[in-house]
Amino acid sequence: MLSREEVLKIAKLARLTLTEDEIAFYQKQLTRVLGHIQDLNQVQTSKEAFVQHVPNDAESFREDRAAPFANPEGLMRNAPAVENDSFLLPTIVEHS
Amino acid sequence: MEFGTQTIQELLAGYRAKNFKPTEVVEKYLKNISERDEKLNSFLQVRPEETLKRARTLDAQIDNMSTLPLFGIPLAVKDNFLVNGWQATAGSKVLSGYISPYTATSVERLEAMGAVVVGKVNCDEFAMGSSNENSAFGPVRNPWDLERVPGGSSGGSSAAVAAGLATVSLGTDTGGSIRQPASLCGLVGLKPTYGRVSRYGIVSYASSLDQVGPFSRTVWDSARVMEVMSGFDPRDATSSKRSVPKFTEELNTNSKRTFKLGVSRAWLEGVDSDVAKSFDSALEVFKKMGCEIVEIDLPHTKYALSTYYLIAPSEASSNLARYDGVHYGYRTQSAKNSEELYSRSRGEGIGREVKLRIMLGTYALSAGYYDAFYLKANQVRRKIQEDFEKAFTQCDFVVSPTSPSTAFKLGEKTDDPLKMYLSDIFTLPVNLAGLPGLSMPCGLDSRNLPIGFQLIGKPFGEAELFLASHQYEQARGQFALPSMLKGKG
Repeated sequence: MLSREEVLKIAKLARLTLTEDEIAFYQKQLTRVLGHIQDLNQVQTSKEAFVQHVPNDAESFREDRAAPFANPEGLMRNAPAVENDSFLLPTIVEHS
Repeated sequence: MEFGTQTIQELLAGYRAKNFKPTEVVEKYLKNISERDEKLNSFLQVRPEETLKRARTLDAQIDNMSTLPLFGIPLAVKDNFLVNGWQATAGSKVLSGYISPYTATSVERLEAMGAVVVGKVNCDEFAMGSSNENSAFGPVRNPWDLERVPGGSSGGSSAAVAAGLATVSLGTDTGGSIRQPASLCGLVGLKPTYGRVSRYGIVSYASSLDQVGPFSRTVWDSARVMEVMSGFDPRDATSSKRSVPKFTEELNTNSKRTFKLGVSRAWLEGVDSDVAKSFDSALEVFKKMGCEIVEIDLPHTKYALSTYYLIAPSEASSNLARYDGVHYGYRTQSAKNSEELYSRSRGEGIGREVKLRIMLGTYALSAGYYDAFYLKANQVRRKIQEDFEKAFTQCDFVVSPTSPSTAFKLGEKTDDPLKMYLSDIFTLPVNLAGLPGLSMPCGLDSRNLPIGFQLIGKPFGEAELFLASHQYEQARGQFALPSMLKGKG
């Protein structure tokens, strides 16, 4: 069983605030899934390359050219807090 | 005239004969939605005025409809696609109220060829789930039995077409999210080859696995949507430059071809007896068509579940880092600093299953575990891909049931994640290998619930997939309708 501390460490890395109930819940659920995943250790793998999943004719590399976006207002409209075309955030560095 | 169960082919024939025009058809579909969807909860947004406005512009073009292969076809779009001016929640509270500032390439191409978006449809949160019970906006019910799930994650896309609320719909498939709900709702569902359809404008879940695909009543309809929507898109760096065949043309010629179907009996162990029986009867139909059935070996498919649940969550933990309450999406009211803003917005906004997958991925990618988990999973993924490559030296398609069971009851599998994940054992390996997979209905179980048959093709082998399934469909005959549609159009 994953410890409470391990769950809290993962949650911190994932930037997720968890309630007390959730901590206990994910201790169980993560343990259950990670336990199952151990079966991969039965597979002999050594020097295999990574899977080739992107079609070899895809344009994975191209010139990095800026193009105008038609609807910048539409992007800003979805922001939770905006001031003068800037995204508003809580104070990061306090004045002393 | 009643509308709802018509195919694209039938609607196009009706438009050509001027039996009706787009506004009449679209009005009827909107009426179906308002009358039937209360029970199903498949639609998250309809905009009748916008939709009818669009239909009216098509009315005026009816004499030029031959240039528009999807002229006046009602289309439902999963709520993880962006369609300019429409919401895109991806089934999450995080994106509640989000209005798309642009349109996904797939939808843009369908609209340009005459399709009419009738609404955005429900799905599991961020497309993570196999039953549509993970949506922040409530579960979707299966039109075949309202006590049961429609499958997931594209449960709204499948329920909407099955109930006659749209002619076709779009979904995304990362581990089975099109094929499994198509199977549970008695429809044709296609996950194309990775790279065949642009992913631009869909909400990312696991980028090396996600693909866009259609739900439809027939194989021909699926082929029609695919020939319009597929092909290179400079805005998706993984999209293929390969040319797109005119998929419907070969179906129209009614040419008959015989194929070799590969079956791995070891892989099929443990499926429900009704599903197994129906699958075997479908194989008999293929044999009568002149196809040959060969036994193949897929020794690593049994590791697909573990492989998937390391790779997909790892990619998700990275993709979903963007939901931090800064640029868009849910923002907590109680943050005193940036750190709290991120963690609380995510903690409060993201649902149970999605948090589990983010944490799984974070764990798998964290210092000290990367080699043992993520790297190992990618090595096994390669072995699964090689299993299929080897199988395709002996056969044209690998076939299986789409899902080990028919539609299950709401709440039946929600307590144990592994029980739910096992719904996708036949679909997961196909995404891991990047192959095209098509599910089509092949029978009903003892409770009158549909059963799906899956054909898995070679990379970019959609044309052959369509041809083989179309031939089977002709031999099978018209498929049953859910009882809620009996006597309706």
